This record gives sequence, C-alpha cells and structure tokens, in this order.
Amino acid sequence: MSYTESRYFTGPMVCLALLFSLFLVFSQAQGVAMAQERTPDEYGDVTEEAVASAEGPSIADPIEPWNRAMYHFNDKLYFWLLKPVSQGYKYVIPESFRIIFSNFYENLMMPVRFVNNLLQGRPDYAGRELARFVINSTVGAAGFRDCAKDCFGIEGRKADLGQTLGKYGIGPGFYIVWPVLGPSSPRDTVGLVGDHFLKPPTYLSSDVLDPETIGINVHEKVNNLSFRIGDYEIMKEAAIDPYIAMRDAYVQYRRKLIEQNGPEPQKRD
Amino acid sequence: MKRWIASAALLIFMIVPLLASAGGALDTINSNVSSVIDVMRDPKLKGEAGKKVKEQKIINAAEKLFDFVELSKRTLGLNWNKLTPEQRKEFVELYKTILKDAYIDKLTSYTDEKINYTKEVPLSENIVEVQSIVTTKKADVPINYRVIKKDGSWKVFDVIVEGVSLISNYRTQFREILGNNPPETLIDTLRKKVGKK
Repeated sequence: MSYTESRYFTGPMVCLALLFSLFLVFSQAQGVAMAQERTPDEYGDVTEEAVASAEGPSIADPIEPWNRAMYHFNDKLYFWLLKPVSQGYKYVIPESFRIIFSNFYENLMMPVRFVNNLLQGRPDYAGRELARFVINSTVGAAGFRDCAKDCFGIEGRKADLGQTLGKYGIGPGFYIVWPVLGPSSPRDTVGLVGDHFLKPPTYLSSDVLDPETIGINVHEKVNNLSFRIGDYEIMKEAAIDPYIAMRDAYVQYRRKLIEQNGPEPQKRD
Repeated sequence: MKRWIASAALLIFMIVPLLASAGGALDTINSNVSSVIDVMRDPKLKGEAGKKVKEQKIINAAEKLFDFVELSKRTLGLNWNKLTPEQRKEFVELYKTILKDAYIDKLTSYTDEKINYTKEVPLSENIVEVQSIVTTKKADVPINYRVIKKDGSWKVFDVIVEGVSLISNYRTQFREILGNNPPETLIDTLRKKVGKK
C-alpha cells in the first residue's frame, strides 16, 4: 500500500520537478537566444511569419478618380458647411440635450436593428432590441433616455442590411464614395437603400424630398457630428494619404462588423 | 508509467496558460495607459506652459507603452527588409513623430472617458491582445491593444479601434507608395509630412 502510495505521489512530483527544471532551462535558453538575436540588431530583417498579422482586408477600387473627387467634395462639405454648423450647434445646445437627441434617434432606428438581427439569425438580439425599444419609449421618457441600458443593463447590437448581406457571404464588390453619404460599396449601398425603408422618418411623407424628413435627417447628422468634431481632422492629420486611410478604415470597420457575433468563414472578399 | 505521462501532460496543460499570462499583459497596459491618463487629467498642468509639460510627459509615457520599432516592422511587413539600416532608423523616428503630432492634441484635451479592461486573449506564444472598452458620454468604443513580450516586458505594437487596426491602415498607405517607388521616396514623403508641421 505504502509502496503504491509513494509511487503514486512521487510520480507526479518527479514530473513536476522535471518540468520546472525543463521550463527553467528552456526559458533561460530562450532568453539568451532572444538576447543574442535582438539586442545587437533591433533593426534587423523581418521574416514573413513575424509580420503577417498586420495584413488586413482589401478592396478593389476601379473607380478611384471618381472616388477621389467625391472624397474631396465631402472634405470641403465638412470643413465649409457641416463643421461650422455643428460647432455652432454644439455651442448653443447643451451636451445633455444633445445626448437626449442622440438617444431619441438611436431608439427611433430600432426597426433597422430588429429586422437585421432577425435576418442574421439572431432572434436573441432582435428580442433585446425590442425590449430596449419598449423600455426606452416608456420609462425612458419617449426614447430620450437609454434606461434599458442604464436601469436594466440590456445592451443592443448594431445591425444593418449591408452587414446582413455580408454575413450571407456577399462581398463588398468595390469601393464607392458617395457625395454626402461617404464611403460605401455596392453591397452596402443596397443595404443603405433597404434600411432606408425601415426608418420611421421615411414614412413621415410620401414625398421623397419632404422638407420635414430632410430636416430630421440633417438634424440627426449634425447632432451626431457635434460629438465627433475633431475626429476627422485627426484622421486626416495622421494619414499619409487620407483617401487611402479612409478607404482602409472603412473596409476594416465593415469587415469587423460582419465577422463579429457570427460564424463567418475566413475568406477574403 | 502511463499515469506519469498522463499527469505530466495534465500539468503541461495547466502550467502553459499560467506561463502565458505570467507578467500580466493586461496589468502592464492598464498601468501604463493609466499613467498617461493621470498626466492628461493633472489639473496642475493647465495653460500654455502646462500644456508643454503635459505633452512631454505624455510622450515619455508613450515611449514606455509602445515598441515603435516593432510597430514599424509590422507596418512595413516584408518591405522593411528593402530599407537600409539607416533608412530603417529614420523611418521609425519619422513614423513616431507623425503619430505623436497627430494624436497629441487629442490626448492633451482629454477629459472624462472611462476605460474598462475586459480581457486578454493570447494570440501566440509572446503576443497578447488586451481588450478594453472606452465609455464616453455617448457611446462605448472598443479599443484593443496588441502587445508583445520582449525582454520580460509587454509593449504595444498595434492599437485596434472599432475593428480598425492602426498598423494595417498605415500598411495600406505605405504599400501604395512602395508599390511603384524605391524606399527613399517613402522616407522623403514622411520627411515632408513631418517638416510641414
């Protein structure tokens, strides 16, 4: 009995001791190897595997001249119109009111997120969006407060039709910059149009160019922008070629939205 | 004997994750980012003079937080090998200056965002992704740091904001230049950009 017991216990102990000494030797050896490798030449050559992780998704850009022209148009639109208007707006309207408006618009767009979460096979998130809408539209004082998150801890999930199509395996196609709307792709443009019909303000009037509908859209945009004044400037300042930086950021951002929360196969599009 | 092997295997499985997280990438990033934020929040550093001191302190803290050589290597990828050692050194300095110039104003005007470090995900033997959520008044922004362990300490070589990786973004831009031009053109473009500031 004692023999088996000691055998039983010394076995792992020996293993443990061996392992530790192995690890010690190994880590020391590794440390030495690393020190020898690195310290003399931190600026040495790199190998493919060592730097492969930075490879992000890419997108075709066959209409680059048009896109660059539209990029410049949007750039001027921002600096000459949207930025001064948003700055004035930010100056006049206290932050707490702007947050209230932001919550209100966020709440109003629930149908977009609800339908797309369903289309993406996520009834759980769709349910959450519905619960958020009910709570925020009632206790949350008609959507002015995000009570669903603050009082009940129910968080929603961003979902749009372009993302849904992406999850169905449809690639973005190529890069398009729309005037005013900014970076997009054929897939996301279809998504944008589809989502448009899920937005309540669309149904304020049968007239596409109804001043009230346009007014609401402009206010939403300006209100949102009032929180982000300066972000675009930093992006532009940091970039070597702002057009490329924007395109890449758009592709990476969309890719992330499509990949997360779902078993998306790892293929390039 | 079989039992020994089994327990040894079990031990390896138990010890390896422990080793991987030893030294705590998350803790290192937390404390290094915190020290940057402490500088940003310092009420004593106000006005023009205070701003200069603040800038210098932030730069010092950033040197501790980032590994700019690793960041540069991973941005350029295999193109790094096309640069001469002198060009490499200059590239790292220029790249660092561009990042610093672009982000320092935002950092000095920082106010009240809260940062929550959510988790650390090991990506390879010596690379960990530290995930965090920055809560602003209006929204939650996920910010992930890719950190590498070198000489026993963790250093950041990539920052991923809302899924957009800093080094991938620059890689695309640099590749555009290096596609048709020699490395000297890239260095020259960066020199001009830094000179303009």
